[in-house]
Parts: sequence; C-alpha cells; structure tokens
Amino acid sequence: MSQHAETLIDHEMLFRKPEYTDMFENKQKNFEYKHPRDRIIEIQEWTKTREYQEKNFAREALTVNPAKACQPLGAVFAAVGFRNTLPFVHGSQGCVAYYRSHFSRHFKEPTSCVSSSMTEDAAVFGGLNNMIDGLANAYALYKPEMIAVSTTCMAEVIGDDLDGFIKNAKMKGSVPQDFDVPFAHTPAFVGSHITGYDNALRGIIQHFWEKCDARTPVPGKINFIGGFYGFTTGNLREVKRLLGIMGADYTILGDTSDIWDTPTDGEYRMYDGGTTKEEVRGAYHAEATISFQQFCTEKTLKYIESKGQEVVALNHPVGVTGTDQFLMEVSRLTGKAIPEQLLKERGRLVDAIADSQAMLHGKKFALYGDPDLMLGLTAFLLELGAEPTTVLSTNGDDSWAAKVQALFDASPFGKNCKVYPKKDMWHLRSLLFTEPVDYLIGNTHGKYLERDCGVPLIRLGFPIFDRHHYHRFPIWGYEGGLRVLVMILDEMFERLDQSTIITAKTDISYDIVR
Amino acid sequence: MSTPLRQIAFYGKGGIGKSTTSQNTLAALAEMGQKILIVGCDPKADSTRLILHAKAQDTVLSLAAEAGSVEDLELEDVMKVGYRDIRCVESGGPEPGVGCAGRGVITSINFLEENGAYDGVDYVSYDVLGDVVCGGFAMPIRENKAQEIYIVMSGEMMAMYAANNISKGILKYANSGGVRLGGLVCNERQTDKELELAEALAKKLGTQLIHFVPRDNIVQHAELRRMTVLEYDPRSKQADEYRQLAKKIHANAGKGVIPTPITMEELEDLLMEFGIMKKEDESIIGKAAVAA
Amino acid sequence: MSLTLEEAKVRNKELIDEVLGAYPEKAGKRRAKHLNIHEEGKSDCGVKSNIKSLPGVMTIRGCAYAGSKGVVWGPIKDMIHISHGPVGCGQYSWATRRNYYIGTTGIDTFGTMQFTSDFQEKDIVFGGDKKLEKLLDEVEALFPLNKGISIQSECPIGLIGDDIEAVSKKKSKELGGKTIVPVRCEGFRGVSQSLGHHIANDMIRDWVFDKTDPAKNAFEPSPYDVAIIGDYNIGGDAWSSRILLEEMGLRVIAQWSGDGTIAEIENTPKAKLNVLHCYRSMNYISRHMEEKYGIPWVEYNFFGPSKIEASLREIASHFDDKIKEGAERVIAKYKPMVEAVIERFKPRLEGKKVMLYVGGLRPRHVIGAYEDLGMEVVGTGYEFAHNDDYQRTTDYIKDSTLVYDDVTGYEFEKFVEKIQPDLVGSGIKEKYIFQKMGVPFRQMHSWDYSGPYHGYDGFAVFARDMDMAINSPVWGLTRAPWLK
Repeated sequence: MSQHAETLIDHEMLFRKPEYTDMFENKQKNFEYKHPRDRIIEIQEWTKTREYQEKNFAREALTVNPAKACQPLGAVFAAVGFRNTLPFVHGSQGCVAYYRSHFSRHFKEPTSCVSSSMTEDAAVFGGLNNMIDGLANAYALYKPEMIAVSTTCMAEVIGDDLDGFIKNAKMKGSVPQDFDVPFAHTPAFVGSHITGYDNALRGIIQHFWEKCDARTPVPGKINFIGGFYGFTTGNLREVKRLLGIMGADYTILGDTSDIWDTPTDGEYRMYDGGTTKEEVRGAYHAEATISFQQFCTEKTLKYIESKGQEVVALNHPVGVTGTDQFLMEVSRLTGKAIPEQLLKERGRLVDAIADSQAMLHGKKFALYGDPDLMLGLTAFLLELGAEPTTVLSTNGDDSWAAKVQALFDASPFGKNCKVYPKKDMWHLRSLLFTEPVDYLIGNTHGKYLERDCGVPLIRLGFPIFDRHHYHRFPIWGYEGGLRVLVMILDEMFERLDQSTIITAKTDISYDIVR
Repeated sequence: MSTPLRQIAFYGKGGIGKSTTSQNTLAALAEMGQKILIVGCDPKADSTRLILHAKAQDTVLSLAAEAGSVEDLELEDVMKVGYRDIRCVESGGPEPGVGCAGRGVITSINFLEENGAYDGVDYVSYDVLGDVVCGGFAMPIRENKAQEIYIVMSGEMMAMYAANNISKGILKYANSGGVRLGGLVCNERQTDKELELAEALAKKLGTQLIHFVPRDNIVQHAELRRMTVLEYDPRSKQADEYRQLAKKIHANAGKGVIPTPITMEELEDLLMEFGIMKKEDESIIGKAAVAA
Repeated sequence: MSLTLEEAKVRNKELIDEVLGAYPEKAGKRRAKHLNIHEEGKSDCGVKSNIKSLPGVMTIRGCAYAGSKGVVWGPIKDMIHISHGPVGCGQYSWATRRNYYIGTTGIDTFGTMQFTSDFQEKDIVFGGDKKLEKLLDEVEALFPLNKGISIQSECPIGLIGDDIEAVSKKKSKELGGKTIVPVRCEGFRGVSQSLGHHIANDMIRDWVFDKTDPAKNAFEPSPYDVAIIGDYNIGGDAWSSRILLEEMGLRVIAQWSGDGTIAEIENTPKAKLNVLHCYRSMNYISRHMEEKYGIPWVEYNFFGPSKIEASLREIASHFDDKIKEGAERVIAKYKPMVEAVIERFKPRLEGKKVMLYVGGLRPRHVIGAYEDLGMEVVGTGYEFAHNDDYQRTTDYIKDSTLVYDDVTGYEFEKFVEKIQPDLVGSGIKEKYIFQKMGVPFRQMHSWDYSGPYHGYDGFAVFARDMDMAINSPVWGLTRAPWLK
C-alpha cells in the first residue's frame, strides 16, 4: 500500500513506489507495443546530431513548440489596460476560454473577457446577431465603461465587419449610442499576440483621437506604451516610479499595472486601474510617445506619428545602457534633467555588475521569445560580458534579426553569436545540442529543453506557469536590471552548488564563500 | 482643397460583361482627366487586362503567397499603370474549389489601404465577382470603402436575380455605413423589351437605370486586342456610349439610394409581366415523365 | 448558521430570480431554463442543457477542439496530434491538462508537445491541404517512431473547405497504411466541448477500429480483460484506478486515453468489459463497442471510499467469484488506510458546504467523496452536460441543491457571494475570483496541480487538499485588523 494517512505523498513520490513502477512496466511490456529500447535510444541520439538539425531546419510546413500565441490574446491584454474596460472577442467561444486560462495560469489572477459565442449557424449567416445580443448582455451584466472588441479567426474567415456590426448593435439598442466600443480586427493567422496587442491598442486610441478637436501640444507632456509582456505589473509600476522621479507629465496608454495583482481582501475587483478615457483623450495633445517595445506597437506608433507626435521606439531596454537610453529620451522630451536619485540607482546596478562580473564573463546563453524582449536581453547580456550565442524568436522577422545582428556586431562578446528569426523551440533543441550553451533564457515551455538538453532555464519570458509571482517584480529600470542580474546569478550559484554537492567526491568545491 | 475620393464598385452576375463595362467606363473617366485606381476583386483577375493590355496581372495574393505574407510586399510590386495612367491592382485568389477567396479580398484591400494605394487618386473602382456571396465579397461595400455600387445587368432572368440579390447585400450594410446603390447599368443582350424591363426593375429597386449600353461588335474587336473601345477606336459610337455613362456616374456623386430589394415572388411577377417567364402550370409540378 | 431545507429552497429561489433580473429580458428568459432548485424524487434536475451559450455573458465553456484535442485525443501518447490551423489553439492547450504518461517525449511519445500547421493568411486564402501533405511528410522524417497522427481541425479548416479526409487517405496509403486520423472538431461546431468528444469518438470508430487489421498487436486474451474508458490520467488518476482493478484480478488491456497508446485503443475490441468513468466524453464509443463487438460497459465512480467500494463490487459482478473475492480483498486491504485518512481529516471538514461547477462527470461524481469527509454539496452544475447527465445527477444530490447549467461568470459570482460556501470547486478561470472574495477554492479540472484523486491512494490526496484549502490560515488574514 502506497499511501498512509499520516505521511501522505503526492504524485511526485507516489508513482515511484514499487507497486506503481511494477504496474507501469507490466503495462508497457504487455499492452503498449512500444518500440524496442535500443531503437528509442538510437533515435534519441540521432536527434542530437547535425544531420538531424539539417532535416529539422528544412521544415516548411510543420511548426513544433512555437514561442508565440495568436492575435486576440494580445488584444485582450491591451484592452484590460483601460479603466473599467471589458474585452469582447467576436467569434468562437472556446478561444476566450483559452485566453482567460492562459493569463490566469501565468498571473495566478482572474482575467475577465467575454465572447460572442458564434456557432455553426453564425458561420453560415454571419455573426451580426451574436454581436447585437453579446453587447447587450455584456453591458447589462458587467457594467463596463467601455467594451473593446476584437476577433477570432472564425469571424475573420467569414469576413464579419466589426464597424458595421457595432453600429447595427447600437441602432438596436444593445448599448447606448454614445457608449464607447472601440474595435480591431485581429486575425489569428496573421502575426502573433504582439500584432494583436498593436491592432487593439491602435483601435482604442483611434476611437478616441478621431473625435478630438485640433491638437494643441502640451510642452513636455509624453505618453508611454509598455507593450505585451508577462511582467507587466512590476514593470509598469517601476516605469511610473521612474517617470515620477523625473517629474514628467505623462500618460501610460494601456496601463496594466493594477489588473493582474488585485488584493485578496474579500472583494473581487473585476476591473482595477487602467488608463481612463480622459487620459486617452489628453494623450492626443502630448508632444511625444515612447514605446518600450517597437515590435508590439508598429501600427500604433505609425498612427500616433500621423497625428503629429514624435514617436520613440525602444526595444525593451534592460540593464544599464538600455535604462540610460530610456531616461535620456524622457529627459530630452520633457526637458527635465535626470535627478541625482536615479544616478545613484544607476551606480548601484553598475556596482552589482562589477561585484559579479567574474561569474558572468564569457558564459554562453541561448534565449528565445518575443522580438523586443530578445533585443533587450541580448543587449544586457553583452553588457555583462556574457555571450548570447543563440537568439531565437518565432514571431521575430528578418528586420528584427538585423537589429539583433547589429547588437552582436557592436560588441566583442557578440562575435560568436547567431540570430534565428521565425524559428521554433524544436529548432532550438537541435541548436542546443550542436551549439551547446551554459544557460537558457525563456518561458515555462523551455523546461522541456532543460530536461532534454540539460541546460538550466532562467524564466524571463511569457508565459511562466510553473513559478509564482514573477510578474509582480520589475525587470525594467536599474532596479529591474538588478533583479535580472540576481535571477541569472542565483541560477548560476545553484548550479554550481548542485554540481559540487556529493560528499567526498565533488564537494571539494562546495564553497561557503563564492 | 482637393475633391474627395470617389469609391465606386461594379457588381453583377458572372459573364455579364462587368469587367468590360467597368474598364471602358473608367477609361472614359480617365479621358475626362480623372485619376483612377482599379481594384480587381475577382479571383480570375481579369478586371484590368484591357487597361494594361495584359493577359493577367500578377495578383496581390499570388505575390504574397510567394513572398511569405502580404507584409513582405511593397505597393509597387502589385500596382501596375496602364492606359491614361490608370493604376491597376488585382487581388487574385485561389483556384476554384479551395481556400477562401472572400478572405483574399479582405487581405488585399487592407494591404492597399495600409500602403497608401489610394493617395492622390480621384476614383477607386472595385470590380467584384458575381454576387455578395460572403463577408469577404462584401468588403468593398463596407464603411469607408465604396459609397456607390453600380450593378451591371441585362434583360436575362439570372442577371436580374443577381441584381436583386446584390441590392440585398447593399441594404444590409447601408444602414450602418454609407454604401448606396448608384444605379443599374444594362448591358444589352437583345432580349425582349430589355430596356423597359431594366427600367422597371430599377424602379422596383428604388434606383435608376443609369445607362443602357447597346450591343456593338466593336467591343469584341477591341477586346481581342486587349483594349478598351475608348483606346481602340475613340471616335466610335460605342466609345461615346461609355463616355455618356462615365459622365452620368461622375454627376451621380452623392445621389445613390438605399435600395429596396424585392421578394422572389415580386421578381417573378415582374418577369412574367414582361413575358420572360411563363406562369407555372401547378398541375405538372412534381410529376415524373411516366406518370405524366 | 444552517438553513432548513425549506429555507434553503426559498433562498435559492430568490437568488435565481435576482440573477435573472440582471439580464436583458430575452437573455433572462433563456437563462431561466438553466437554473433550478432540485426537488427530491424528480427524475432529472429540471434544467435545460446542451444548448448554445448566450453571447457576451462570460460562459466558462470551451469548444469542440478542446473536447477532441484537449480531452480525448491529446493524451494518446505515441501519436502526434496536429493542431491544424492558426497557432493559438495548440499553444493555449499545450500540456496544461497534466495527462500524465511515461515515455521519451519527442522520441517515442509526444504528449507534452505542440505540433501545429501555424496557418498564415495565404493558407486561408489558397487552402491548406498542400501544406498539410508536406507537414505529414515532415512529421515522418523528424519523428520516425510516432505510431500515428491525428489532425485536429481548428475553426478555419471547416470554413475554407479543406479536404483533410482526402489528404489523410492519400498519405496513409503512401506511408504503408499508417494511422492518420482527420478530426473535424472545429471550434464553432456544437455548443461546447461536448460535440468535440462525440466527433473524436466517432473518428476512433471510423479511422482506427474500422481500419485496423484484427491480427495486429496480437496477444493472448484472458477472461478478465477490461479497458478503462474515460480516464485522462490527470495527475495519475488512471494509474491509481488501474492498480485497484489489477489487484482484484482483472487485466487492464487499455487506458482511454490517459497514458494510452494507439495499440491499446486498437486492442480494446478484445476486452470482455469496458469500465467507463467519464460517461460524458466516452459513452459514444462504449455504446459502439457494445453494438458492434458485444462488449458490455459499466459506469463506475472512483472518487471517495463509498463510491469506490460500490463500484468495485459492481464491476466484479460482471465476472466470476474469483474477481468478486478479489474486490472484497481490495476493499478490505485499503479500509484501514482510508479510515485513518477520514479520521484525520473529517473532524476538520465536517459540515462544510461546497459548491461545484465543473465539466464531464465531476459535478456529480465527486459528491460522494465530499460526503465521505462529512461535507455537503449545496450547489452544482456542468459546463457541457446533456440531459442524461442531469438524470444521473439526481442519484447524488440532495433536496434543495442549487443546479446551474452552463453558469455565467455573473451568476456564479452572485451565487457564491450569497450562499457563502466553505469551498468552491471549479476551474482556473474561476479560482482567483473566489479566492479574492475570501472563499477557499480547489480547481476540480486539474486538481490544482495535485492529484491523483481517483482510487484509494487518490482519496487520501483529495482529503488532504480539501483540508489544505479550507483550513489555510490565509483566510484569516483577508481583512485588516484595524478595519471594523
């Protein structure tokens, strides 16, 4: 018997008990018709070869373990960054169940979003009635101040027209005529979640700005857009702190800092924080907009620029140089000097890097994820004297790859580094065997690579399902840089301890001072 | 201030001579000094051949499929310039029986808008396959797209059915957006009482027969040379017909209507009134040859 | 303070009226049919089910793809399951259901991987059949030990008219009769996950059973061969069930589909009895095997000792005395452990009220386990049940139980707010809402990353988890002491 009332064991240990392992063996031997052990090992070893890599990289149709999601996920992310706004996805309902689950698994927080629940009849006749009823129901039940509509691929294939549908729904009285229903078409078969973020954000801004009178630029006023990122809570709070210290007059467009860590105090807040409509309208009159993630905001920035604002597109700055660049831009645009306090924070991060640089020097990293995050982390690793030898993105294209290459070219540590656009994590698996690295940076799915290739994983991507609360801490700003540094160092020290822990064998180097 | 962009679309049953009529009319508009962009929205991509003297133009979708995606295309890759500087784009689409041609129309139009294809033109004309069969083929009549639809038809029964169906499609979008029916263009097939019938249908639909284009073999002569009549023989009588149509369309700005499509029964009554359709003999319905 | 049955009925009636009042009239009328208070003695729960969700209400339901790829097919470990269409569906359902299995992932097993055709605009416009053909070749080249491929259709496939059946047939022939199964589980089909289960079952019938040479994977039959149907091995559930069946002398020849292999599926028609846990998702194939191969099937419930005991005896009743004795032996063997578990946790859980909202079989099946711990289920509902599920539910629930079919976010929140249960058991989307309200919660789809919950070993974990949730000190911290 495996369980005992007083010493209960979980699945982790339960299935190692002999009753179970015998059972597994018996099942395998008698019923599974498994391939012979030798054959499995042979293939396993083959997948580690260059020959396999060549075949793997010749793939044209099959994607295996991609590091990207689809557009509407990003649209939902953008929508919840606005005050009392309910995301509404027009199309099949299962998609919305997936987005909500996906965010909840990452943030350990609820995510509110409704679907227009289109079914087979809507596929044939179009989803107008679903829009009419859906808006009416969502408005009555969840009392939003704004409903931000996006689409699933189903609605996109049959060609539903959001603009017309929303107007029709208003005529039918689903929501008041003057109720704000911004929208964006977000086909899942174009781009990725960052494209959806871009489209939805542009849709919301456009909805308000097109109704604004002539622009009267307010000197020194700036807008800030963070982009899609899993650590949004901590990051945006850090940005607000920094902009506060700078004394900047600013608006965050899509402020997701408060929605994904609401308190547990007996009250469930379906909506919390977020940019208000007034702030969005006011943002029209800013002099400039800074985007922290260029590839998340290409269309949005183009639109903002067309209205006469200066736009500054950064690539997810992490670390000293990146934060320097960000603050200098803020200083230039607002006309405010960078205060002493931030200079001190900068010095502390440099101090920490100086203390630990010996650990980092020449260490090889493979990293994968969204294009801007890759640029930010690549720059930081190079700054630390590490070598980001493999930088891969599923949703990064050739123009992104050129930017990564430019970072490599600008640093002596980038000499042996390579960038891989439009590749997935099965490509990366081959690379980890043929071009081994010391550490891997990515999202939760990277743990399968950690297992297969024996490379320790540092979780900085999205989603992170198997660690808790990372999103509450920033990796932006000098303090954020410090956190990334410590995360990397912790993994390094932990590895070192693990490899030196065997008594009387490896524990010679099991040092108490490192 | 420049005159606002006119966005028009030609719809009509397949084989009705829609592309011929539209290209000749647009050539006439160009002659009047209008700057024209043609967006062909028919997967068979023949909406611009008379303007370009080409068999078929490379389409947005075929080029996008080659390049990977539309994001990889530049406007100059897909836009060709033909007779009297008319700009031409073909959306293209899949072979019959596969994929989703309607989605292709959406993709192409989004691409053209985002890449500034409409900058500096007076007219955009969409030439659309047959009927408003799905959301994709309704793309040109959505808000901020074509404001006036011209339905090319004839005195044949199926052409009239199609005209009525297209009116239904327009009605669906007319209330929420700005699309209007500009009028019917009758492309003569020399059926009985064709002019009267076309006028009667126009009346029923709440619109006008904007022009009756008589049949003339010169159109075929021009077409053999992949030319419009306007270019092939500008002094011909037929060229004047298209000039008249062009003038009427030009003067028709803002005069479109929300159509009043009719029921199948009303349409059949109309056809019977003009003797196009015989009254059904109820006694023979459903009887097989042997039983009869 | 505990309400009498009559008081509870009045309160629940008021509650239903209150939530319905929040809807626009048309929607309120429709939702009214899905909410009810159970009356003792009725043959069903008095709610309509398996009907389209209302748009815009925040239904908790998923789609047919989730039912086919996510539930039925996905766990078959030595096959490769292609999420055919855009990238999202496969990404969001990637390894999140914890269908445990043993194997070398990426080499001979593929459960926790995401294979997709990652549709692009051009695939929609020009059709995806050619891409699919090429993709199947690439799968064969890179994963030569796969034992079969299933093609799980996402929404666009059905809309653009791709002929995945023709591609499957063609490629299967080219690859020497390889199992390639096209599944038309587009998300817009049906009203929930449920139709996806049904379609998935039918595809096993048409593309596996009907195409398998009976001589394939030959083995010596025994009179005690059974197959576990409808256990997805979440957190190892099927294993902690299988061990009991084997201990009583039965031979489990197949697991459907948790830790299952295609060979096991193919061999199932050789079973003497199919034992069915998740009725909703696999009754179809059980009925088919009964009709075509004459294999009887029996539903069982391995949640909590009372139901396990009854189920073991029920299963044994289909066999000879040897097995009947085996069942008694198993029951006796685990009794002391189970009693000790109850002794440890029951005092901490006695009288606690639970509200459930789950899928499949759990809104009824777990009730017995709670009752074994002295707890009471006061409200329950299904995401995607049919009327036969609600009929079966009457065997489990008490008079006055609040029943809610396809509950909306709004309703569920209001119900919990007013009823104030000691525990809510539902899914990931609901978990954090209720915890923020200060209500203890356990995920009853994924076992909150714990498990197994099936069988005797699982019951011990279940009891501990419920205690952990309800009696966590955190619930005493939700209100700041300086607030009145």
